[in-house]
Amino acid sequence: MSNRVAVIGVGMTKFMRRAQEAPGELAAQAVRMALEDAGLDIDDIDAVTLGTAPDAFDGIHMKGEHLIAGAGGSNKPYMRHFIGGATGVMSPIHGWMHVASGKYNSCMVVAEEKMSPCTPHPAGAFLTIFDRVTEQPLELTLIHIFALEMARFMHVYGYSERDLAEVSAMIKRNALHHPAAQIAMDLSADDILKSPLLSWPVKRLDISPTSDAAVAIVMVNERMARALKKAPVFIEGVGFRLETAYWCARDLCYPDYVAMAAKDAYRMAGIVDPVRDIDFFEPYDPFDYKALHHLNALLLDKTGRTVRNLFDSGSLSREGSHPMCPSGGALGVGNPIAATGLMKIAELYFQLSGQAGKRQLQRPLRRGVAQAWGDLMQAGTVVVMGAEGAPPVTSSRWNDMTREDLPGTPIKSVDDVPGISDAPDLRYAWDNGFAISTYLDGLKKGKIRGSLDTRTNRMMVPARPFSEIADLAPVTNYFDLPDSGVVKTFTISHVNWDSSPLPKGTVNIFAVIALDGINEDMGLVHKLGDIDPKDVKIGMRVKAVWKPQSKRTGGILDIEYFAPLGRKKANLGMTQIKPVEVDVLAMSQKQGKIPLSYRYTAGVGGGKFYSDLAKGKISGTYAAARDEVIIPPAMFDEESLSILDPEKDARAINPGSGFIRSFTVVYEDRQGRQLDKEKVVVQVEFPGVTGSIFGMLEVKNDEDFEEGSPVTLVKPKKVNGPDMVTFRLSSRQVVSSF
Amino acid sequence: MGVAVLGMGICGFTPTSTGLSYREMIAKAAKMAYRDAGVTVDRIDGAVSAEEDFPSGYSIADEYVPDQLGMVRKPVYTIPGDFMHAVASAAMQIETGRFDILVVESYSKASNILTKDEMVRFAFDPVFNRFGLSPHWLAGLELNSFLSETGYTIEEVAEVVVKNRGAAVANSNAPYGDNFSVDDVIGSRPVSLPLTELMCAGYADGAVIAVLGTDQAAHRYAKKPAYISGIGWGSGTSILERRDHSLSIGTAIAADRAYKESGVIDPAREIDAFFVSDTYAHRQLMHMEALGVGDNHDQAVNPDGGVLGGGDLFEATGGARLYAAFSQLRGEAGRCQVNAERVLVHAWRGVPSDSCVVAILDKARRVL
Repeated sequence: MSNRVAVIGVGMTKFMRRAQEAPGELAAQAVRMALEDAGLDIDDIDAVTLGTAPDAFDGIHMKGEHLIAGAGGSNKPYMRHFIGGATGVMSPIHGWMHVASGKYNSCMVVAEEKMSPCTPHPAGAFLTIFDRVTEQPLELTLIHIFALEMARFMHVYGYSERDLAEVSAMIKRNALHHPAAQIAMDLSADDILKSPLLSWPVKRLDISPTSDAAVAIVMVNERMARALKKAPVFIEGVGFRLETAYWCARDLCYPDYVAMAAKDAYRMAGIVDPVRDIDFFEPYDPFDYKALHHLNALLLDKTGRTVRNLFDSGSLSREGSHPMCPSGGALGVGNPIAATGLMKIAELYFQLSGQAGKRQLQRPLRRGVAQAWGDLMQAGTVVVMGAEGAPPVTSSRWNDMTREDLPGTPIKSVDDVPGISDAPDLRYAWDNGFAISTYLDGLKKGKIRGSLDTRTNRMMVPARPFSEIADLAPVTNYFDLPDSGVVKTFTISHVNWDSSPLPKGTVNIFAVIALDGINEDMGLVHKLGDIDPKDVKIGMRVKAVWKPQSKRTGGILDIEYFAPLGRKKANLGMTQIKPVEVDVLAMSQKQGKIPLSYRYTAGVGGGKFYSDLAKGKISGTYAAARDEVIIPPAMFDEESLSILDPEKDARAINPGSGFIRSFTVVYEDRQGRQLDKEKVVVQVEFPGVTGSIFGMLEVKNDEDFEEGSPVTLVKPKKVNGPDMVTFRLSSRQVVSSF
Repeated sequence: MGVAVLGMGICGFTPTSTGLSYREMIAKAAKMAYRDAGVTVDRIDGAVSAEEDFPSGYSIADEYVPDQLGMVRKPVYTIPGDFMHAVASAAMQIETGRFDILVVESYSKASNILTKDEMVRFAFDPVFNRFGLSPHWLAGLELNSFLSETGYTIEEVAEVVVKNRGAAVANSNAPYGDNFSVDDVIGSRPVSLPLTELMCAGYADGAVIAVLGTDQAAHRYAKKPAYISGIGWGSGTSILERRDHSLSIGTAIAADRAYKESGVIDPAREIDAFFVSDTYAHRQLMHMEALGVGDNHDQAVNPDGGVLGGGDLFEATGGARLYAAFSQLRGEAGRCQVNAERVLVHAWRGVPSDSCVVAILDKARRVL
């Protein structure tokens, strides 16, 4: 059976809107701090696992690979895990697997997020989380899907906008004493209600901010925890569940998947009644309603009465019987997605070991639960942690930690520090396959097409070729369906997909519409039109307004919008149809791209490198732990995970003393197109220092070079990225004179 | 507790796959795997997928995992790593004692990505290493370092291509088989010299599914399981400036763990066939060195044609290697069949990483 797994140390950076540090530098600072907190060296760590959310934030494909060094994973077993916004609480679960399996004694668990490189706004990264055929053309973003869920939640459970504003105010207040907090504020519900309306019912202060940060925790087996004489906090239960990606096909008011994950965790922890057996709660709160929405599920109460009573009686406050988000949550501390989840795990550790300082709950604590959520209203991760009832730690540095004590360098603008811009050209043509090609063929003909899952008697929209809930049973009967239905939920949006405001006086109304004549839970998302926004109601009947046949292309925008049906009667007939025949013309592709660009800070190490380069200089950084000068300049030493200062620990290197370590002659550009003239990339080493610099080699006609050839750095005319790093061959005399 | 592969399924591998959505491709492979494993969907406790965001074109690829596996509402998460990383993660999960049967999934729709080089380039550090050049530059530089540090010749590297692409001629799942000479390979179009076009694997589409379970589950359900006796993973540093480009530390770390777990002391004698990443030809030789075997052995290496013959499937690549190894252990490798009781499966994530997995699989459970 599983080994018991304990958390014995935590590290974190400040949570910041924009950090100067590069992603790896953020991670390294959190890891260094976690090691010191646990009283360990990186050599004591057997394995590293890292959680981080979409690559589209940091702007690095295979971001987990990029973060290896900063996470302490160089030359170790290292693995990244990912489950959208639910990643941060999956992180300790994956760490738990490393140790509970008996495979490793210790595991460093790191969560990093740097959202700020994504321009014009990190929210833009969410356009491409939606189904590319049936949803993305509507230009939805995350705020819209949250607003749809929030409206549905309010409708079903009877919460008002003011109620939810109270939640936001409470959680932001809780953050006042969290050392990492980015926007802790003492606000009233009125302040929240008065903040700009983005997409009804969502106002700006209902939402957590975007953030840069890293958090790390050290997880070890029980034997190691005891040997280190730590007051360990144990993982008592874990659960993680993933719902269908067809989010319009279920009622968004209650997250069953979170409840299922919670049940898994409770079963493992021996919890029978969560209301009685859990002392405090850290539900994921990227939006204020989400805290309650998740708490309903964590208390396994679909009626919502338990949470309603706790809310009405003030029991969710830090002084109450069931404190919710005592950390200050995503709403107050900040929301660097994966790092937020791990921050909540850290809060369980602090509270249960008596290290929460002014946030410490003033009663004996036995158990806490943390939860994260993610993907398309779809993923739930839950961890229960417990203390042994040992006397709390009294001499923890965490008790007195202030924001100034935490690492991390907030900046106002990326233009204040050296940086690099890049706009990747990521283009696709996706095979739609049989079922979706049939669906799109229907739209072109002015029909909404579904397929019938005979095992569950569900008419599925959009048409699908298999039953996702009944043994993947084949689905072969396709139908043209009514194009009318009922509004299940809606939002009135004032913003575009990239968070920019819509022109004044215009709004987009998005709605989830349950189509007529088929199962109530099968719907699609689209826009509403021909209606005054204030007249839109949940439950109103609507009908598709189609583009003229000549303008239809076989896409979801062939429906212009849904308009109120009024007293008109809908045609509720369904007709079985012959699906498309399989040939290369009928099988369609959907063209698309990822429309993002990036502005990266060069980081602390990179900043030093580029400021040197502008002067035609090179410096290394002295790393005391290995007694070596390393290049390029670095903020951390990946071997010892010690933190370095590339300015203070700088060692000048003669830019004319390099020699070629290795090289390659490149014939293709970044797109794989043949270059007019090949280019030479060189790896250049310098005497007496560890590491190298990559750059271009300027080769004049007939110049010979080989490994070992001496080179000198060319002072660049401008400094805006690695392409500017250039060397030229130098005469032997230059080297020997050095 | 032992972990076994109960069954596997694939769909592919082909240069393009018009007519099948990724969902349809995965569902097809899943049904094949479930039948092979002797399990129904409701017997499976959860899933681990191996996916990165940008190859799928979704910002959160993880969202689109559960449906086509029949794993809706089950414990499911994604490992942005190779298929074999996901196998390792699933094996750990089973070893906690809380899960009996899990499914591992990955797929490639490489043909749907119109700017593959641009995407791979986007994996490089924007501050220090992301040049306006083909991302193959790093493989070219590695090859140069490898040749000068180890004494291997470019002809020996080309010989890997000749052998692997040649072997793939006999493999109906491998789209890139053909009969080349060493001169053909060295003389093919330069990409990033000394690396030429034929030394780089082409891309392919396909889905791979493996059903993993406890030994008890294998005994109960599977007709022809294989047994994982050791699995390790490791990563060289992500700081390219301070990485030795002539060797694969990631492989050595992974192998050390896998050998220890399975009690392998002399891999060149104890392992009958090696399925080793050859996404670039020199990487096969580099990996064999790091596995402690080198070129001094008689055992088969990539008898199915490897990645050079079968195609690069991005995250699913190691899954195709596992499928080839699994087929060998079961005597179902057709014209590529060799005698094998114990095989090694190796995976590498491609440039710019040195992240690797090594697994030892046996035809029968051996007691250490």
